[in-house]
Amino acid sequence: MAVSASDLVRDIEGLVTLPDVYLRINRLIEDPGSSIADIAAAVSQDPSFTVRLLRIANSALYSFPSSVDTATRAATIIGTSQLRNLALSMSVAKSFAGLPNELVSMENFWRHSLLCALAARHLAKEMRRCDPDALFTAGLLHDIGELVIFNRLPEQSSEALQRVLDSQDELPVPEAEREVLGFDHSAVGGELARQWSLPVLLQECIAHHHDIAAALKHPREAALVHIANIIALMAEVDTLDPADVPPIDPRAWEVTGLDENVVEPAMRAAQAEVAGIEKLFLDQK
Amino acid sequence: MALAPPRKQPPMPLALPGFEHVKRGWNATHECYAARILPGEYYVTKNDESVYTTLGSCISACIRDRVLGIGGMNHFMLPATELSEADAWKAASLSAATRYGNYAMEHLINEILRNGGKRQNLEVKVFGGGRILENMTDVGQRNIAFVRDYLRTEGLQVASEDVGEIFPRMVVYFPATGRVRVKRLRSLHNNTIASQEKSYIESIKEKPVSGDVELF
Repeated sequence: MAVSASDLVRDIEGLVTLPDVYLRINRLIEDPGSSIADIAAAVSQDPSFTVRLLRIANSALYSFPSSVDTATRAATIIGTSQLRNLALSMSVAKSFAGLPNELVSMENFWRHSLLCALAARHLAKEMRRCDPDALFTAGLLHDIGELVIFNRLPEQSSEALQRVLDSQDELPVPEAEREVLGFDHSAVGGELARQWSLPVLLQECIAHHHDIAAALKHPREAALVHIANIIALMAEVDTLDPADVPPIDPRAWEVTGLDENVVEPAMRAAQAEVAGIEKLFLDQK
Repeated sequence: MALAPPRKQPPMPLALPGFEHVKRGWNATHECYAARILPGEYYVTKNDESVYTTLGSCISACIRDRVLGIGGMNHFMLPATELSEADAWKAASLSAATRYGNYAMEHLINEILRNGGKRQNLEVKVFGGGRILENMTDVGQRNIAFVRDYLRTEGLQVASEDVGEIFPRMVVYFPATGRVRVKRLRSLHNNTIASQEKSYIESIKEKPVSGDVELF
């Protein structure tokens, strides 16, 4: 069985595609001749996306002084590059609906991803020169490779999870995947992000959130997503005991300049925020 | 900081008769042998070793003689009945539904007593009965209600428990000391655990309980 991470990604071409609204916005942002009005018009082409975008812009996630009531205002206030991040974040769950699997429910998968996104956003605000919105998107996308392997290699994926349980939950999930498949979900996710030409920051956070030393261009962001992922696991099972979750790589603290004191507030913030915005990001419609 | 040298792995202690088939392995973290039990199985030991399992809506009772340190763990659930209320098993008591619960509890207790444990020394801890799949009737609650009622009827007190809620659990029990480590598992493991429990429940539906339970 000669399957590699890139074979798998080639396999799913056509099944999972980047959302149209993201592609449209992305094209316009890269075109120096386009204006904010053009971008707002591209957003408005998708009415249900526009409605959700405005709800997010007016939610507790942002605290804009005045209400954001049109696509043009959203593009102006949020900023066009932020709008691109949001378009990706808001549509990614829908994109992956084409890759169903028997191992994890989409609700549970995206809930973990959203908790990681919220924790990453919270941590990014504690750091200097770190873009909270880009980190939100990185957190939301960090495990997308999992959906690919669960869909394409269900038996081996199930065997890997079984090994984790047989080990008293001591064998880390990516290690079990490497034992059984020869590669792990972060390699597959990174390959997909590369194929999609996502920003390098996202590529590295997705590919290296379990192996932060391998992130060469964005080591701080990859380390931050690594920490946020563990915080998301703590938030999910509602624990503050580090023994209940995989350990945080000590290098992640060095690289980010953060320390253990950020864990509890980030976890509480993610827990508090997730309920209010779950629908806005995970609605499949 | 110098780490203490890891304890050298001793030879695996003999299992009690009847438990030789249970899979055991060395656990480096706890530095002891650990027996892994699956739904429908149980394990009793006199050795300084642990027993562990993963629970979704199933129940594990951890019982030992607190003086002698002989004890073990079971892992069971009641098969579904037509009735879905939490106390539906009462209406069906003595029927097929409770037979498997009674069977699992009696086997564990009898085996401890057979190996020298005293009934008055028994210490009981109860885990599991989570609701890990949203769109299912709450079979976990039914299992919790059953085990509480069983123990009350038998006059056994529950020393500690961690039951219900929405999490799957990893339970590691050390019969020699009575220590239990319960770890909530992330939802990534829900379906793996649920499908294990499902194939167990389907297997017992086809295979009626044989009547070899002795009552002490």
